[in-house]
Amino acid sequence: MNEQRKDILDMLAEGKITADEAERLLAALDRGPTEPAPVADARPKGKAKYLRVVVHTLENDEPGRVNVRVPLQLLRAGVQLAALIPPQALEKANAEMAKSGVPFDLTQLKPQQLEALVDQLDEVTVEVDQPDAQVRVFCE
Amino acid sequence: MPQTLRVRVDRPAGRPIRIWIPVLPALLVLSPLLLLAALAAFAACLVFRVNALRAFGTGWRIFTALSGTRIDIEQDRTAVLVVLR
Repeated sequence: MNEQRKDILDMLAEGKITADEAERLLAALDRGPTEPAPVADARPKGKAKYLRVVVHTLENDEPGRVNVRVPLQLLRAGVQLAALIPPQALEKANAEMAKSGVPFDLTQLKPQQLEALVDQLDEVTVEVDQPDAQVRVFCE
Repeated sequence: MPQTLRVRVDRPAGRPIRIWIPVLPALLVLSPLLLLAALAAFAACLVFRVNALRAFGTGWRIFTALSGTRIDIEQDRTAVLVVLR
């Protein structure tokens, strides 16, 4: 018998709690620990407005920093450009990509799919750590 | 739609360059050039058989979505900042 269970039974024996309360406490013990509370600083889903790219570099002992903030709305508008690419240009691009060993059919890429991709970006975080460079891509 | 464009360039030597451009007045000043560019774009749409209305709509959406863009680059003592608000 573990310590907590013994404490509950002791309290019942001493009359500090009723039999029903003891039963509920024992049942709660059997269920095990509750789910951890969500992290306080977790960002609510679907609230991201910007895509951030932050790069810190150290080149020849000279620090460098790139900080780019792009509205996600701009990405959503940008993917609409895919629908404006002439079919002949897509075919040429497909041929060149196939030559380079990337057999990807751009004609199958629909703006709706790209928009869905952008919609899911707010949950994406990419971090690259190198001794002389750090890259972080995230949404905020 | 972006209201202002702010550019700042800090150099190791010399004074920093600060430019603040109100977008709407700048567009009005550049409107003759923009009209020519629009005509050229319309011709290109006809040549490449692209829906011109859709192309202009997409271009306008991209332009209006530019608000909030910020590009900040620093290397050693040189820095460039571009902000669209």
